[in-house]
Amino acid sequence: MIKDILKRLWNDKFARIALIVLGVIYLALFFADFMSPYTKDFSDRSMAYVPPSKVFTIDENGKFSKPYTYNYVREFNPETLQINYSFDRSRKHYIKFFSKGQPYKFLGIVPMKTHLFTTDSEGRIFLLGTDINGRDVFSRLLFGGRISMTIGFLALFVLFPIGLLYGGISGYFGGKVDMIMMRFAEAVMSIPSFYLLIILASILPSGMTSSQRFMLIVIILALIGWAGFARVVRGMVLSIKNEDYVMAAQAIGASKLRIILKHILPQTTSFVIVAMTLSVPSYILSESGLSFLGLGIQQPDASWGNMLKEAQEFTNILYRPWLLTPGFLIFVSVLAFNLIGDTIRDVLDPKSKVR
Amino acid sequence: MDTIKYILKRILQTIPLLIIVSMISFFIIRLSPVDPLAELKLNPSVSPETVEKERARLGLDKPVIVQYGKWAISFVKGDLGVTSTGEKVSQKLAERIPNTLLLTAIVILLTWLVGVPLGIIAAVRWRSNFDRLLTVMTSIGMAIPSFFFAVLLLMFAVKTGWFPIGGLTSPNFVDMSFGEKFWDITHHLILPVIVLFTISLAGLQRQMRANMLDVLDSDYVKFARAKGLSEWVVIYKHALRNAVNPMITLLGFEFAGLLSGAALTEYVFQYPGLGRLILEAVMKSDINLVMASLMMGAVMLILGNLIADILLIITDPRIRSKA
Amino acid sequence: MTGRVFRILLLLCVIALFCKACIVRDVQPKITSEVKTSASDLALSYSMPKNVTINGIDYLQSQAPVGIFGGTLVSSTIGEGPKTFNPFNCKDNTSAIMSGVMYDGLFTTNPVTGEVAPKLAKGYTISPDGKVYTIYLRQGIRWSDGKPITADDVVFTWQNIIFGGMGDTSTRDSLVINGKLPSVRKYGDNIVVFSTPEPYAPFLRMLSAPIAPKHVFYNAVQKGNAYFDSFLSTNAKPKDFVVSGAFKLKEYVPAQRVVFERNPNYYEINTKNQKLPYLDKLVYLIVGDLNNEVLKFEAKELDVISLQGSKVARYKSLEPHSDFKLYNLGPDTGTMYISMNLNNRKNDKGKFYVNPIKQKWFSDLNFRTAVDYAVDRKSMVLNIANGIGEPLFTSESLNSIYLNKKLKPYDKNLDKAKALLKKSGFRTDKKGRLFDKDGHRVEFDLYTNAGNTEREAIGVMVKQDLEDLGMKVNFKPIEFNSLVNKLVSTFDWDMVIMGLTGSPLEPNGGKNVWLSDGRLHMFNMRTPQEGKIGILPWERELDEMFDKGALATKFEDRKVYYDKYQEIVYTQKPMIYIYSPIRIVAIRNKFKNIYPTSLGGLTHNIEEIYINKPVRY
Repeated sequence: MIKDILKRLWNDKFARIALIVLGVIYLALFFADFMSPYTKDFSDRSMAYVPPSKVFTIDENGKFSKPYTYNYVREFNPETLQINYSFDRSRKHYIKFFSKGQPYKFLGIVPMKTHLFTTDSEGRIFLLGTDINGRDVFSRLLFGGRISMTIGFLALFVLFPIGLLYGGISGYFGGKVDMIMMRFAEAVMSIPSFYLLIILASILPSGMTSSQRFMLIVIILALIGWAGFARVVRGMVLSIKNEDYVMAAQAIGASKLRIILKHILPQTTSFVIVAMTLSVPSYILSESGLSFLGLGIQQPDASWGNMLKEAQEFTNILYRPWLLTPGFLIFVSVLAFNLIGDTIRDVLDPKSKVR
Repeated sequence: MDTIKYILKRILQTIPLLIIVSMISFFIIRLSPVDPLAELKLNPSVSPETVEKERARLGLDKPVIVQYGKWAISFVKGDLGVTSTGEKVSQKLAERIPNTLLLTAIVILLTWLVGVPLGIIAAVRWRSNFDRLLTVMTSIGMAIPSFFFAVLLLMFAVKTGWFPIGGLTSPNFVDMSFGEKFWDITHHLILPVIVLFTISLAGLQRQMRANMLDVLDSDYVKFARAKGLSEWVVIYKHALRNAVNPMITLLGFEFAGLLSGAALTEYVFQYPGLGRLILEAVMKSDINLVMASLMMGAVMLILGNLIADILLIITDPRIRSKA
Repeated sequence: MTGRVFRILLLLCVIALFCKACIVRDVQPKITSEVKTSASDLALSYSMPKNVTINGIDYLQSQAPVGIFGGTLVSSTIGEGPKTFNPFNCKDNTSAIMSGVMYDGLFTTNPVTGEVAPKLAKGYTISPDGKVYTIYLRQGIRWSDGKPITADDVVFTWQNIIFGGMGDTSTRDSLVINGKLPSVRKYGDNIVVFSTPEPYAPFLRMLSAPIAPKHVFYNAVQKGNAYFDSFLSTNAKPKDFVVSGAFKLKEYVPAQRVVFERNPNYYEINTKNQKLPYLDKLVYLIVGDLNNEVLKFEAKELDVISLQGSKVARYKSLEPHSDFKLYNLGPDTGTMYISMNLNNRKNDKGKFYVNPIKQKWFSDLNFRTAVDYAVDRKSMVLNIANGIGEPLFTSESLNSIYLNKKLKPYDKNLDKAKALLKKSGFRTDKKGRLFDKDGHRVEFDLYTNAGNTEREAIGVMVKQDLEDLGMKVNFKPIEFNSLVNKLVSTFDWDMVIMGLTGSPLEPNGGKNVWLSDGRLHMFNMRTPQEGKIGILPWERELDEMFDKGALATKFEDRKVYYDKYQEIVYTQKPMIYIYSPIRIVAIRNKFKNIYPTSLGGLTHNIEEIYINKPVRY
């Protein structure tokens, strides 16, 4: 079935583009250490808020040369109260491809030093400029993307088992159990999801490590969506449980849990796949919304949401619009996921023949 | 008579729902390690006695169940308590809720006024350039993060000077004539409405289109066409009514989504609404305020669903007979 | 067919654009001229209003040039808006400012010299023993509703409200001198006498507290604390307000703005004997954050704004062609610092608040001094304040009249820091990691409040600075309320970056921080039960300086004590100060009678400010 889905996806023009775009993004994120010239925490404080580095291919004499860049030098002018950036033309820093740069551990295990592009240790290649602490925006974009783009999937892995089981049990047992379980789920659904999100995020204990915080945010995101999902699953289970094969399994004497897990829930697969693909974008948006408010991923970690938080300051938008790139990336990813989800739904949903 | 009984039954069902909602919210908030008195404590000019007074007033020295009980009793009596700074919660809510309602009502109205016709047209001209264009635009509309869009629009407002920078009314609102007041509020609402409208339009238009496509393909429409009725009559007399019905349940969810989604937009536009109030209350762990706002949000959501259900009953005879 | 051609053309265009983007020519820059701007001097001479008597009424007469009546000034306040309009219930800054506009106190401060200046009262004398204050009120001045302002109001305010413990009791609590409160009596309608049990220098400044109209507040006080707490809250109608200040409340729109209008009975006049203020209305827009504030200024919805960091450069560059002017008000009155937890006691469960291994480091003066020399203040000013700031080394803010100018600044000095660490037996291994003399890796947690871009950026820099010394720093920005909880309740923290507001006029206001049993003595916090347990010798000295400083009455005498306390902090380094932002304020050119001072800001003389060509609303 997966092969069939992929084939159909590939055939649709838009879905194909979306798949490629997402593929490129995830590949870049996977190889973030390799593709970015600097490590996650690197900062050069003498280069805070510099504009994107200029890469020259024709040197000052008009001849073609290997690409090089100049470092920026900052000066504070006490009269205009401005910080001016000028090139330090005393030294050219050549761009090297596939060469050795700052050491890192690929996948956290393999120590490596090779980067896609880098420059010598004195030089600075900031493709998208730097932020307030002198950290390379381009590198942080890649590392932050890891968090923003994976948090959705992880939340799904928490949410779906819970929702499936909850809905399955409630629908199968029916009666009082069903009523109580559904009342509770409805109550959770009745709380406006964003309000619940910020309340849960604000009660996170302080002083956690970044990975702990990441995990807890994943759990919170999952807690928001499970109720609606469970409800639909329960509705489907209610109709499925009267099917013949279910009654047959009951007649044989299979345990209730086994029936739920092996016979009923698999019938919901197509719905689950569609729901999953369409939920990922909403999680990406929720996480970036949370981080934007300062409740999600905290400094010094990067996420596209908290990078936008810094970017939205007035002077930044006016003078450093490159800081807004995370916003566009979020937009592109969400768009891509939506397109893919639409196509998958067209494929799997029985009513799809009309579209 | 049956309908009224059904309506009453539904209303009664919401009461235990509200109780469970309030319990869940209260315990979550009280789980928080945040101390509501923290700001007072760090203010060098506020004495320890004042802090103690506050602690007693908020009942923080009693066990959680007792605190919930205290809260529930006063809630039922209509006393929503006092915020951690001494203002009445009910008053703060009364200030903010109408503003949020105004915003969401306008957005829902616009979305439906524009979304339904667009959905119909897209379905009728299925796979035409117009339909494709709409699909692309709605995809974009759904993908833009609301706060990002809001920030961009705010910049636009600053650069062009055509729109006020957030808020709801101008400083000299009180001295304006009625007509001027009307325009002033409209002027302030334009940008936040654009943000929310774009996002909800996308969802609605697609849903309408999908429903319409389903209906257009159904037997009775084919029958109506076979009868020789004009396309116009087929669409507007037969197909439309059935396509719109499932949308009514959507109304409830629209409302819910808007309440949630508006919070970020309110934050960026500094709009004096419920979303921003909750945000500030949550940051300070001001339990009375958060509880009350949460309950209000839940009430509005449940009401939205209720109204949707009632409308459905009224318009769809099939459900009426079942109930 | 055409589709194909179109696609090929598109591809060619894309390739062409790509090539153009890749090939960048290196061109030597030309010298451009820079915009010269005028330096802005602070008003070093501003003529304070004088007391004059006309027809038996004691007015306060402004000496500033006569202005034109009319118009509105739109300012802003950050946050959610005021929580109350009752000046005695204010627990936050915004409420204090709002109610301060409406209710004048007996005295105010000279914005240039910082001396006490007359306001509701004409003048004062202090007895030779420093314990009796005779206050002379103005004859014939009235509240906004026409009723006279008399000694009854003053006595009622101080006796029944402040000393009576109504509302926020902080003022009263800080006036408990040797267990007793001062007393207040009236002598006739226009003289009030305060007596303090001991001479207490800070008392005079506290007489700037607002005075309430007895005929309005009397019933509220009678009804008790609970009623008083919600008296004149944000629910109150504008017509309920009877005020003595230049403006009274006209409109409050929650989460949007507070509008004040002129008080027709104000007792201040100009040199033509016309009643001030000039402005018809004073509006405060309620703004959620600094970003939105600057957007409103940019869109001309605000008339006056304080600027920080990178925004300053923008407005400075716009200034020559704009309708506003920038003023440099000098360093801010707050202080920002790094502090280490010197607490070496156990909590009630028998556990140490601070890990004993870390205790050894923090209590070592060489360690603290090394941290101090590792901090790169200059880069922080450049990066975070965009150059608009000054490094800070003292516990009093740079514009404090008690600043100890003998304490000199110093640069970052890694060598010195490393030498100090070596002296205490710390050593680094081959990988540059720092270990103490018992072989433990130097590692600790650094906290600050999340959501504050400035603090978070400083935290990142401090972490890097200390990592240069080989220390391992876990930087944890946490929610403000949780942080406060750690600092004042649970005491479980290692190192923190925080800020404190300060008073440039009265160091005694900070005594809660420096007294060994103070409620804000965070670097060695003691519970109320612990009293002054485990007091360090220099803590004892600090206690002594603050006690003596409060009892001395002459500025020169007090300066000696407060100089010494600053010196102690400078040498012992319980708090390592970072930098002070410099305040730059912008105001539209149409406003006249602007006398900016470091102590008073721009709007200290709001009643004298007028618009050159007022616009009728």
